[in-house]
Amino acid sequence: MTTQRILVVGATGFVGLHVVDALLAAGHSVRATRRPRSVTLLLRRRDVELVPASLEDPAALRSAMADCDAVCFCAAHYPRYSLDSAAAFATASAGAKAIVEAALNAGVPRVVATGSIASVGPAPAGRDADERDVHLTPPSHSVYGQVKWHIERELDAGRARGLSVVSLLAGACIGAGDLRLGTNGILAAMLAGALPWWVDGRVNVADVRDVARAHVAALAPRELLPSYALPGRTVRVRALFAWLARRYAVARPALELSAAEAVARADRDERAAEPIRGRVLWPRELVDLVTHGQRVSGRAAQRDLGFEPAPIGETFDQAAAWIATHVLAPARRRQERRAS
Amino acid sequence: MTMNENEWRANVIALIAEIREVDGATIRGDSRLREDLGMDSLNSLELLSGLGEQFKLDLPIEDALALVTVDDACAFVMSAWRAQHGAAA
Repeated sequence: MTTQRILVVGATGFVGLHVVDALLAAGHSVRATRRPRSVTLLLRRRDVELVPASLEDPAALRSAMADCDAVCFCAAHYPRYSLDSAAAFATASAGAKAIVEAALNAGVPRVVATGSIASVGPAPAGRDADERDVHLTPPSHSVYGQVKWHIERELDAGRARGLSVVSLLAGACIGAGDLRLGTNGILAAMLAGALPWWVDGRVNVADVRDVARAHVAALAPRELLPSYALPGRTVRVRALFAWLARRYAVARPALELSAAEAVARADRDERAAEPIRGRVLWPRELVDLVTHGQRVSGRAAQRDLGFEPAPIGETFDQAAAWIATHVLAPARRRQERRAS
Repeated sequence: MTMNENEWRANVIALIAEIREVDGATIRGDSRLREDLGMDSLNSLELLSGLGEQFKLDLPIEDALALVTVDDACAFVMSAWRAQHGAAA
């Protein structure tokens, strides 16, 4: 593969950092944007050119893209709460639009955007869902799903103006290095015995390294689909928690809530956490993802991007080992304080 | 670069003040990062990352949450600086 210079926007985040690693492993040269207060601890250990830029600074973004062969956009808005939907949609759309505008202005040949499996709509009867199943209107059950819908529409607008954008609609990414404990937060809480309740449904578990490698494959200058589902492995939460409990010798959360109860509980927890910018163990978007989870096919990504889901045990072992050595989960700290 | 303990502390306090958006004059060496200054785990990572960048240090994340007070953070960064940049400190 020819060495290319790739700009990663969002490289200080969980998926972005793995994309950086996959790019470096493939021999590419990596430039990464950073904000003044970005946590660059892990990124500075890599051979990466760091440039100050943000989605709110069009000139800096465009200049960061100058002479780059492609951009990986791993910084799409991820709402921390599902309470203020209008603000979340505005932020999400503005961020995606900034990437599209800068890439068109800088003449970047390809943008690869990290998206979400929540953008895959319901399947028609007779087959699993995939990237062909697009929500025609924002999915009403989930603010998170609507945020992702708005982002994809901005990327569509970029495509209509001639920008080559490949959206990778990833399942719940699991792996090492999730400093802020996003999708890995549930696992960290369960390992700490601090998960108070759970709700059944389906979850698409994707190994973050597989998702990262798919970004590299999607850079190749050839005809690709506008989007690919990267579901990883689809599992029932009930079976997953039973399996995790056995594998890591921890208890399953005792209280099972119905979907309606889980939604009410998540909303209540978010309302309590929002004023202090606190974290909730089960945020509303995960409840929505799980309770509306479905079987999704990754066949197109397998064919075009070589997306092969790792064995699920390897995926969780990577994440669990990292969590065990990086005592970052607030739940775990609380538990240790109680024990001492 | 040679700094005495007070200078290290001034740098650490300035960074904490920036992260928490408070007046640095209200922060003392024995102020507790979480209980007194309201720092969460992400703020601790921002502190570690900022200190690492300012002083060109590779600071282990695992230690971020073991720091209880501002003085702990100063001692931690001074010791890392000595280890990584030699005894000249």
